[in-house]
Amino acid sequence: MTALTAPKIVDSTALRLVRTELKLVRRDPLVLTFVLVFPIVTMLIIGGAFGTDPDPAFAGQNPSHWYVASYFTVVIASTGLVMLPVHLAAYRERGVIRRFAAAGFPRWSFALAEMVIGLATIAVAGAILLVVAAPIYGIPSVHHAGRVIAGLGFGSIGFVSIGVLLGSLLPSARAAQAVGLMLFFPSFLLGAGGPPPHVMGSALRHVADVLPLTWVTKSIREPWLGIGTATSALIAVAGLAVVATYVAVRRTAL
Amino acid sequence: MLPTTPPSTIMCTPVHSAAPVAQVMVSDSRRVEDEIYPRFDAAAGGPANDRGMTSSLIVTVRGLSKSYGERVVVDSLDLDVRAGEIVGLIGANGAGKTTTVECIQGLRRPDAGVLRVLGCDPTRDAERLRPMLGSQLQDSALPDRLRVHEAVALFATERARDPADLLERFGLSARRNSAFAGLSGGERQRLFLVLALLNRPQLVILDELTQGLDPAARRGVWRAVARLREEGATVLLVTHELDEAEALCDRVIAMRDGHILDQGTPADLIDRNAGWATTRFSWDGPHNFRALPGVRDVVVEPGRLTVHGNRQSIAHVSAELARSGRVPPDLAVEMPNLEAALLHLLEGTDHREMVTI
Repeated sequence: MTALTAPKIVDSTALRLVRTELKLVRRDPLVLTFVLVFPIVTMLIIGGAFGTDPDPAFAGQNPSHWYVASYFTVVIASTGLVMLPVHLAAYRERGVIRRFAAAGFPRWSFALAEMVIGLATIAVAGAILLVVAAPIYGIPSVHHAGRVIAGLGFGSIGFVSIGVLLGSLLPSARAAQAVGLMLFFPSFLLGAGGPPPHVMGSALRHVADVLPLTWVTKSIREPWLGIGTATSALIAVAGLAVVATYVAVRRTAL
Repeated sequence: MLPTTPPSTIMCTPVHSAAPVAQVMVSDSRRVEDEIYPRFDAAAGGPANDRGMTSSLIVTVRGLSKSYGERVVVDSLDLDVRAGEIVGLIGANGAGKTTTVECIQGLRRPDAGVLRVLGCDPTRDAERLRPMLGSQLQDSALPDRLRVHEAVALFATERARDPADLLERFGLSARRNSAFAGLSGGERQRLFLVLALLNRPQLVILDELTQGLDPAARRGVWRAVARLREEGATVLLVTHELDEAEALCDRVIAMRDGHILDQGTPADLIDRNAGWATTRFSWDGPHNFRALPGVRDVVVEPGRLTVHGNRQSIAHVSAELARSGRVPPDLAVEMPNLEAALLHLLEGTDHREMVTI
């Protein structure tokens, strides 16, 4: 692989690839099923399991609001750990990426297209999640909007990049699905949509603390609900986004 | 109508540095490089406008080697392709053909060797080179739901030909709204040909073009490639189908285990590797055919003779028959075709598949 150089200004070929990929995802909504359905269904179940009274186990918050503020992260994780790896690995397995490379598409265009797809998916699925949550549990008010947006942004970019990276490493769509789900469920249960950290045993809490998804959840949930500012988690998520993006773009250069 | 532009139209810019030619050779590279590009005057230090290419040389490969782990796939391979040629790279699976063309396209980095394709180093100048190539890759695909006209629009650059004309020529006009997944194998390959030719490439690389196609679809794709020949395109065709090489190629390069075994026109290869002929006819009584020039063996059966020898033996046997005044009415001469010659070459067997003339 040639030395990494700064990406060129996006040219029309890259934009055509982005537009085409977005069109293809719209045409095949089954690709999005997991991202659209799983977070909503589990949020509806878990969010209603602990009632709505403020609870010390949930840092004194309404448990339903705690989960509404946590489940955007589940959308991010399902996109980055399941949808994108499977989509990319299927392309690679079938020789689609080689064909793009041989056609002389700009080196960064494919990575860019997949990142745009991932971010667009998170935006759409996250919006639907909130629309579903609003009439049932209500949307908790946002205490530190800037920090929440930063957490959402860095977390989305980081996990989308991890998804692109996994898709470029795993040999087949089936392998990507297996590995993706294996990474997704522990992250989901310990780092976003499972029991609150206060009720976990110390061993589980230690594991949860080192999961990247936990950092993303903290960086969104704490400033959203006013529990804290989660500055260290936000810095960790920003670092994750930078490193993962660098490696993913380099790895998927055509 | 030409699908390609003349080879001199667009090329990689010549390199000015003291290490003038891109190289991945780990040793002895200067010597190899000088051999290929003897006209470059390094002392002058200026641009060498024609360095790296004679006017007709599109691809030059010297000493290409590539291994995957311990397995050597291509071993010190030399290869030239000239403008306007259809060159067939043939050999059994695992001969190193695909790896060779992937290195030529810059899709794989060679372990060693000096490669020049349209004046570019395929590894270092991949971004500039690839748009000048038209590729049909082995085992590649497009997204299932991508429609034919969308694929053409996606792959078209500012140099693209009229896509409607290309789709019409390759019989895909009626399928322009069809998704890739809905195309037959032959239609997919024809779409790949359309995409390969779309941006007026200076070199077309076709890898296992007819793999998995039924005979009718194969013939359709062959006709499309034959049309390229008539139009003067330069084509590097990778195949393990020997009849395909015979039908389409001006020159054939036979590979085995990463090496080139032989190369030349189909006639040259037949001559060198299957230059034998068999003459059969009815005959009773004594004969002297065994003593004729070029005759290797005579098999006598009741009322019938079979004479094996080189191609010249046909003339000597025929002359002897004419001299004897007993020209048999069932005289038949059998000669090998390219497939037999190449099987002989590739497998080292005395394959006796014949064409009766």
